[in-house]
Amino acid sequence: MISLSRLTKKFGHKTAVKDFTFSAKKGEIIGFLGPNGAGKTTTMRLILGYLSPSSGTIIVNGLNPGRERVQMLQKIGYLPENNPLYPEMKVIEYLRFVSSLKKEEDLTTVIDSVGLNDVYDEKIDELSRGYKQRVGLAAALCGNPDILILDEPTSGLDPLEQKKIRDLIKRLSKYKTILFSTHILSEIEDVAGRVIIINKGEKIYDGIKPKQKGGVEQLFRRIVRDS
Amino acid sequence: MIILLKKELSYYLNNAVGYIVIILFAVFANFLFMRDAFVTGSVSMRSFFNLIPWLFLIFIPAVVMRSLSEEKRLNTVEILLTLPISETQIILSKFITHLILLFFSLFLTMLIPASFTILSGFYIPEIVIGYAGCLIMGASFISISLFFSSQTKNQIISFLLSSLGLFLLIGISSELFSSFLPKSMQDILIFLGPINHFQNFIKGIIDLRSVFYFTSISIVFIFLTIVQLEKRD
Repeated sequence: MISLSRLTKKFGHKTAVKDFTFSAKKGEIIGFLGPNGAGKTTTMRLILGYLSPSSGTIIVNGLNPGRERVQMLQKIGYLPENNPLYPEMKVIEYLRFVSSLKKEEDLTTVIDSVGLNDVYDEKIDELSRGYKQRVGLAAALCGNPDILILDEPTSGLDPLEQKKIRDLIKRLSKYKTILFSTHILSEIEDVAGRVIIINKGEKIYDGIKPKQKGGVEQLFRRIVRDS
Repeated sequence: MIILLKKELSYYLNNAVGYIVIILFAVFANFLFMRDAFVTGSVSMRSFFNLIPWLFLIFIPAVVMRSLSEEKRLNTVEILLTLPISETQIILSKFITHLILLFFSLFLTMLIPASFTILSGFYIPEIVIGYAGCLIMGASFISISLFFSSQTKNQIISFLLSSLGLFLLIGISSELFSSFLPKSMQDILIFLGPINHFQNFIKGIIDLRSVFYFTSISIVFIFLTIVQLEKRD
């Protein structure tokens, strides 16, 4: 579903992503782990065609994001970092806008699955942070995408809200490929099936998540220390 | 494209700012017309149309300034560019939305001239061509303002840059500026400025060179705005 080969992205003299190769199959939940500025967001933006690579190739659902971005995005849901939204729009207006562009008009399933039934007629600006995050997630789910790319989906949420979002991601994983980034090690342990650790733009670990409790934390500390 | 257009228009329909700016424009334009009619005692559409470029200088940047700068500030531009729509569709939908707003704003200024037409018998085709000139010149000003809006995250800077850009464009063809230059330069600058082209419409003349001039400005600045949106690195 997603295939990156020797992907490199430079911003001027700074290399944000270096020689990054990986592939993801249907039904995988992949957790991107790494310190701030490691290259997680840049890698996600490259997959979406929002940024273009300096070198290397990207294939998503058989399509090249550079040449076929619009067609490719039809079946990808994305929740950007810090969850930007249109504050002046009502929840339902915003979701209708996104779903119309994704050519899927039915919103009932999306609204039910993220729990927006109580607030769908309210202005986004008036919602709590937790609800705003759910709106962002609902927008990513519009159009029943095959691939979900979530950049720090639980950032800034209280523990209860974090758990709700994690549970939702786990439920969705039966039908979709999910790629999410996080700083929270326990989140990877709870949700992901596979872990990719990035540091200074380079992939330094790609494998099955350790099974024992606290295993991801130990792995992360060891790998970042050694790299 | 229609979906994007609906979203853009709904911002102005559901927001008091849109109505306020349009009504302010209409009130101000009608006031200037009435001032001419009652203070100077002359009823002429030409003096009214002559003020339009200067009104547009403030009005158009004020309406367009948020268009892309606000998308950049809130980072909603990342949402748009990761949805299945192209950069061209995004910019064209914003351009058409503002053109529709301009049409309604100009329509509101027609009420008083229309009533005077009934009373004093203005030549209607001349007025229609004058308004068509306002619309086509306004379209080129919208595209310039859109371009400046794509340059910054700050609405005020966007407004100032657009107004300054339009002021310079209008200014280069003014007598005040060109009188300091040699005759050959004056002719070139007068051709490059919008006033001379707009004058043709005010006189009731549809000069294809003027239509081409304003259309070219619109196309060039829409293209530059699309290129700016494509540059994300």
